[in-house]
Amino acid sequence: MKSPVIAWRNIWRNKRRTLITAASVFFGVIFAAVMSSMQEGSYSKMIDNVVKFYSGYLQVQQEDYWENKTINNTFVLSDSLSGAIARIPGVTATAPRLESFALASSDELTKGAVVIGIDPEAEHRVTNLERWIIRGRYLHPGDSGILMGDELASYLHVDVGDTLVLLGMGYHGVSAAGKYPVAGIFRYPMPQFNRQFIYLDLKQAQELYWAPHRITSLVVMVRDHYQMPAARQALDTLIHPPLRVMSWDEMQPELVQLIASDRLGGKIFKAILYVIIAFGILGTVIMMFAERRRELAVMIAIGTQKRLLAWILFLEIVFIALLGVITGLAGSVAVNTWFYHHPIRVAGEAAKAFTDMGIEPVYAFSLMPSVFYNQVITVFILVMLVSLYPMIKTACLKVPQALRG
Amino acid sequence: MLIAISWRNIWRNKLRSLVVIIAITLGIMAGVFSTAFMKGMMVQRLETAIRSEISNLQVHDSLFRITGELKYFIPKGMALAGSIDTLEHVRGTAPRIIVQAMISSAEAGSGVSVLGIEPEREKKVTDIIDHLEEGQYLEGVRRNPILISRKLADKLNLHLRSRVVLTLQDLDRNLTADAFRVAGIYRTTNTSYDEVHVFVRYDDLLRLTALPDGAVHEIAVRTDDDRFTPAVQQAIRHLAPRLEVLTWEQISPELRYIVAAMDQYMYLFIAIILLALLFGIINTMLMVILERRKEIGMLLAIGMSRLRVFGMILLETVMLTMAGGIVGIVGGILVSKYFEVHYIDLSMFGKGLEQWGYNSLVHTRIDPALVVTVTLMVIFTGIVAALYPAWKAIRYDPAEALRTE
Repeated sequence: MKSPVIAWRNIWRNKRRTLITAASVFFGVIFAAVMSSMQEGSYSKMIDNVVKFYSGYLQVQQEDYWENKTINNTFVLSDSLSGAIARIPGVTATAPRLESFALASSDELTKGAVVIGIDPEAEHRVTNLERWIIRGRYLHPGDSGILMGDELASYLHVDVGDTLVLLGMGYHGVSAAGKYPVAGIFRYPMPQFNRQFIYLDLKQAQELYWAPHRITSLVVMVRDHYQMPAARQALDTLIHPPLRVMSWDEMQPELVQLIASDRLGGKIFKAILYVIIAFGILGTVIMMFAERRRELAVMIAIGTQKRLLAWILFLEIVFIALLGVITGLAGSVAVNTWFYHHPIRVAGEAAKAFTDMGIEPVYAFSLMPSVFYNQVITVFILVMLVSLYPMIKTACLKVPQALRG
Repeated sequence: MLIAISWRNIWRNKLRSLVVIIAITLGIMAGVFSTAFMKGMMVQRLETAIRSEISNLQVHDSLFRITGELKYFIPKGMALAGSIDTLEHVRGTAPRIIVQAMISSAEAGSGVSVLGIEPEREKKVTDIIDHLEEGQYLEGVRRNPILISRKLADKLNLHLRSRVVLTLQDLDRNLTADAFRVAGIYRTTNTSYDEVHVFVRYDDLLRLTALPDGAVHEIAVRTDDDRFTPAVQQAIRHLAPRLEVLTWEQISPELRYIVAAMDQYMYLFIAIILLALLFGIINTMLMVILERRKEIGMLLAIGMSRLRVFGMILLETVMLTMAGGIVGIVGGILVSKYFEVHYIDLSMFGKGLEQWGYNSLVHTRIDPALVVTVTLMVIFTGIVAALYPAWKAIRYDPAEALRTE
C-alpha cells in the first residue's frame, strides 16, 4: 500500500483528535489572514490618502526644493521632457503644480494657506479633485477663480462668489498679491487639507508669484504601488540635475515608519499565535506517537524500514495541517472578500481618532495574495519543525522494550 | 482531597502536561507583556498631551475655540489667571494670546499658531522647557525672541539667532508684521504639534496684535493631580461663569477613546491567544480520559458519584491551565516591571511614531486590573476546556469501561 494512503487512514483512527488539531490550524489561519488583511487594507488606505489626494506616487522637482521649499527652487518643464515622461510605460497621468504658502484674506479675516496652482484637467486625472467639490464648480483651464477647503472657507466667512485676496512672496522676493473669486468649495476626507488648501489655475498662480512657466513639481501617477519601481527607473534615466525624482515613500518617511512599526507589531502577534498552535500540534503528535509505540515496534520487527515509518508519520502531520490550512484559507478568502466589498464604516469618537491619524474612518480590508500565502508558508514551517519529534523518536525507538510496553 | 488527586494526575504524564503548560505560559506571558507595552505607549501619549499640549484645563471665551478669531479674547484674562492661581490644587496657570500667523524665513513661509506666553508662568504648566534642543526659553535675545520647533526649523531652514517675520492680522484687521529672532529650538515627542506651534513673549504679541492690556485667549491650568481636575473646573466656573472651562478630556475626547479602544483591543488579543490555547487543552484532556477509561470506570464502579468525577476532570483541567497561567502572568509582570524602569527603544520608527504623538522610547505599564482580568480569563478558559472531556468521562458505562485493556 502507498504510504499516503496509510497516513490518511491513520489520521482518521482518532477522528476527534484530528478534527480538533485541524480546527486549531484552521482558526490560526483564519485569524492571521483576517488580521493581515485588515492591516494591509488600512496601510493601502493610508498610502492612498497621501498618494491619491496629494503627493502622487512620484514627483519631479528642482533638486533643492524638497529640503528648501521656496518658490525660488522651481523649474521650467520643457514640452519634450513632459512628453517623454507621459510616454513612460505604466504612467497613467502627470500634473504640474506651483505650490507656495500665502496669506488668504476675506473682508474681515486673514489666515495662512497653502496655495497650489494646478492644471485643472490634469489635476483631476491625478487626484480626482472634482469629485470632492461640495459647493460651486470645478475650475476650467484658464479659470480666474479659486477652489478652497470648506474649513478654511468657514473660518474666513466666505462662500462661492465671494472674493479672496492672496498675499505672499513671489519669485526672487517680489511681493505677490492678487484678488480671486471663490469658484468652488471642496471637502476631502482629511481635515488637514480642508483647513489650509487653496487651488487655482496654474497660469494664474504663475502670474501671482511672478514665475512665468515655472512649476515646483510635476506629479507622476502610475496605476498602483507595484508599477512604481519600473516607472521610477525609467524616470531616473530621463531626469538629470538640476532636477530630481522623489517617490512617495521618500516624501513621507513618517508614514513609511508608522506602517513598518505597525506591521512589526502584527508580525509579533501572529508569531505568538502560531507558536501556540505549533504547541497544540506538537501535543497531538506526542500523543499519536505514545499511543502507537507498540504498533510501530511491531512494524519494525516485521521488517518495515524506520525511514518509511518516519515518512508516514510526517505525512500524517502534513495531512492534518493541510486540512486546517485549506479550510482556513477558504474561510478567510470568504471573510476578506466580503469585507473588501463591504468595508466597515466607523462613527463618533472612533472616527475622530481615525481622521487624526490621517485615515478615512473605514476599516478597509486587503485581498493582497501575500495575506494568504504567508499563512500557508508559516504553517508549512511549523509542520516541518513539529515533525522532527516523531522522526527522531522513530529513529531512536528501542524495539524490544517497545514491544513489551 | 479531590484537589490533591487532580494535581497528581496532571503529573502522571509529565511530557504531555508540560507541552500544554509551556504553551500556556508563553501565550499568557506574551499577552501580559504586549498589553503592558501598549498601555505604556498610550499612557505616555496621554501624559505628553497633558504635560506639553493641552494641560489639565483650559479657559476660553465661548466662541474662541470654534472660530479661532482674535476678537474673542478674555478681557481681563491676566487678572483672572491670577485668581485661578490662588485656588486649591492648582499648580500653575498659563495665560496666553493665540493668533494664527504666517511665519517666513528669507525664502519660505508656513502657517503657525503663535502663542504669546509669560515664560515664568508657562514653565509651571507645560514642559516645553525640558524639550529644548538648542538655545534658551525666550531668553538670550534682547528684542522679540521666538521659540520654534526643530521640525519647523528644518522646514524653513532656520537656525539659532535666525531672523523670521511673523505676519498677522491685528485687532483692527490691519495686516501687520514684525521681525523675531530665534532664541531657542524645542522638540517634543509630537512632531505634528511641533510643526504648527511657536512661542513668543506675551508683551511682544500684545503690542503686535493691538489687544488691550491684560487680554488673553486661553488660560491653561495644571492641577496638582488629574483627579482634582473636576473640582478645579467647578471652582473656575464659579470665578468666571461666562467663560468656557473645559478639561483635557472634553477638549480631546478622542485621546480617552484611543486609550479605551486600545484596552479593549488588548483584551481581545489575550482572548484570541486563549482561544488558540483552548484547542490544545481540550485535545490533551480528551486524551487523558481516553487513556484512563478503565480507571474512571473503576472509580464509578466503586461508587464515586458522577458529579465528583466531573469535578475531578474539571479541577485537573483548571489546574493544568492555571499552572501555565500563573507562570505566564508572573513572567509577564517581571518582564514588564523590568521595562518600566528601562525602556524599549523604538527609535528606528521614531519619525513615524512622533508624527502621531507617540514617544519612541516606551516604558511598559502594568495595570493591576489587567492581572486580575487575565487570571479570571485563564480560569474561565480552563473551565470551558474541561466541559467536553468531563462530560465524555461521566458518560462512560462502568461495566464496559472496566473491560477495556
